[in-house]
Amino acid sequence: MTLFRQTPFIDERMEDVTENDSWTPWFQRFGPKLLLCARQWTRSAADAEDVVQEAFVRYWRHQRQLPGEPMALLVTSVRRAAFDLARRESRRTAREEHAVDSREPFSVQFETPLEGDERRAAIEDAMRRLPLAQREVLVLKIWGELTFDQIGRELDVSPNTAASRYRYALAALRQELAAADCHG
Amino acid sequence: MDEELQQLEVELGRMRPVAPSSALKRRLAAELGGNRRRLVRVTWFWAAALPAAAALAFMVSQAPGLKPAVPTPPLSTASSVSSSEVMLKPVLAENILVAAQDEGLVTLDDGTTARRARLKYVDTITWKNPRTNASLIWTVPREEVRIVPVTFQ
Repeated sequence: MTLFRQTPFIDERMEDVTENDSWTPWFQRFGPKLLLCARQWTRSAADAEDVVQEAFVRYWRHQRQLPGEPMALLVTSVRRAAFDLARRESRRTAREEHAVDSREPFSVQFETPLEGDERRAAIEDAMRRLPLAQREVLVLKIWGELTFDQIGRELDVSPNTAASRYRYALAALRQELAAADCHG
Repeated sequence: MDEELQQLEVELGRMRPVAPSSALKRRLAAELGGNRRRLVRVTWFWAAALPAAAALAFMVSQAPGLKPAVPTPPLSTASSVSSSEVMLKPVLAENILVAAQDEGLVTLDDGTTARRARLKYVDTITWKNPRTNASLIWTVPREEVRIVPVTFQ
């Protein structure tokens, strides 16, 4: 079973060879996925971009030479930056005594293909209704391309729990999409 | 997992997240644009700093009565400052596991079967001078190979 898209990266790898000191091919490759991951743990798209910036700069300056999967390192860095931001925000929010949740409605924000936009919208809508615990596993697995072991370490759960959440997420998505098809 | 879920997986995998905004790329370019030049400077810095650090470590190891804390030159010129006040003291030690790879079963020299795992860590130690609040952070990657004997029942 093939889950991951490999072919779009061929050209980017060639760029890595010729321009391996440049951060841009790396960001082209990892940026969209990191942004999607960051969006799971932040209140707004702007916060997600801030978090990705902080994490990517840290990775590029200090962690690039470390062994291990770059995406796993980057996801860890993004998650930490998101939690740091959330802590700062919660302190600020407490100071300002905001009782309302200022989180923006979650938006998956996928590229729109030439056809099938309704399907993309239905999938995004169904993902928005998933519990966070399932949605983050789904995103880390499919678009983060992490293994269940890596996801488990990232989220501090066992690989089996990560795999279960993933299956629940897919089943819930299927159910939502079937219901949408019936009503649509 | 049934076939329908596998198809859904494939469909999701084909969806591409949108690219970050051009504003974010500009911000990154502002921060990382001079990366090549900065890298050269850092290399030269370490080329000069490492022999100096080695010489300092040697002098510390030869000096009698000194604790294994890194001495720093006092910021103040006052001669009455005691040596304990200018010491950097270790305040934090962290080991972060960044990758783990199960290399499967291996046979040891004595014929027993074992499982070999390769773990990659980043060790970070932070020293701090309580008087001046100056701090020194030492980070080094480390690889560890663990051999765990296994028994079959």
